[in-house]
Amino acid sequence: MPRGWWTRRPHYFWYIVREFTSLPLALWLLWFLVEIRRAQDGSAGYHPHGSLGFVIFSVIVLLFALYHSVTFLSLAGAILHFNVADRPIPSQLIILSQFALWAAASVVVGFVLIYFGRT
Amino acid sequence: MTEHTSSLPAVRGGQEGAAKSHKPALTHLFWWFMFAQGGVLAAILLPVHILIQGILGPLGIVPVVVRHYDTWVNILGNPLVKLYLLVLIAFPFFHFAHRLRYLLVDLGVPVARGVPAQVVFYGGAVAVSLVTIYILLTTVPISFG
Repeated sequence: MPRGWWTRRPHYFWYIVREFTSLPLALWLLWFLVEIRRAQDGSAGYHPHGSLGFVIFSVIVLLFALYHSVTFLSLAGAILHFNVADRPIPSQLIILSQFALWAAASVVVGFVLIYFGRT
Repeated sequence: MTEHTSSLPAVRGGQEGAAKSHKPALTHLFWWFMFAQGGVLAAILLPVHILIQGILGPLGIVPVVVRHYDTWVNILGNPLVKLYLLVLIAFPFFHFAHRLRYLLVDLGVPVARGVPAQVVFYGGAVAVSLVTIYILLTTVPISFG
C-alpha cells in the first residue's frame, strides 16, 4: 500500500483513528495502575493526580474512549446473530442492547466511584 | 464401527496421510476471546472511569473514591474490587496489543507481522496482567471487612 493511504479518504482515516484509540486508553490505564500502587505510600504520601494537565489528558483520552465504545459496540449488530422462535433478532436491536448495557454499567460504576468517595 | 470412527475429523486427518489434522485451534480461540472481551470491557467500562476519575474528580465536581487515601484503601482491600480492577486493566491490554500491532502493519511496518512483534505485543499484554496481579496483591492486603 502506498505511504499515507489512510489520509486519502475519510473512511480510511477514521479506521486508523479507531485502531489508534488503543494507545491513549492503554496510557490512561497504566496511569490508573500507578495510582493503585501509590496507595502503599500511606496517607501522608498519597497525592492523587489533579493537575490541569492531567484533566486535559483525560478529556482527550475520553474522546478516544467514546469513539472506541461507539464503533466497537456498533459492530455487535454485524457479528452477533440470534434467533428467537426461528426468527432472527434485528441487528439494530442487538446494537441497542449493547448501548443499553454500556449505559447501565456506566451508571453502576459511576455510582460506586462517587458513593464510596464520600468522606 | 470402522465407518463410524472414520467420520471423526481426527481420524479423517489420519487417513489422509500427510494431510493436516483437524485439531481445534485453541490458541487462536484464546487470543480472539481475549481480544473480543478486552474490547467489550474497554467499551462499556472505561469511559465512566475516565470521566469521573480523570475529569470530574480532579475538578472537584464530585467526590471520587480514589482521591482520598482512606476511601481508596478501604475499597482497594475488597477482593471483589481487586478482581474487578484486574479484569478492567488486564483484559483491554490484549485488545490493545492486537489493534496496535495491526495499526503498525496498516501503516506499512511489515516487521509488525512477524513473530518477534507478536511476542512483544501479546507478551506485553501478559506482562501488564502479571504486574497488575502483583500490584493488586501487594499494595493493600485483602480485607473482607
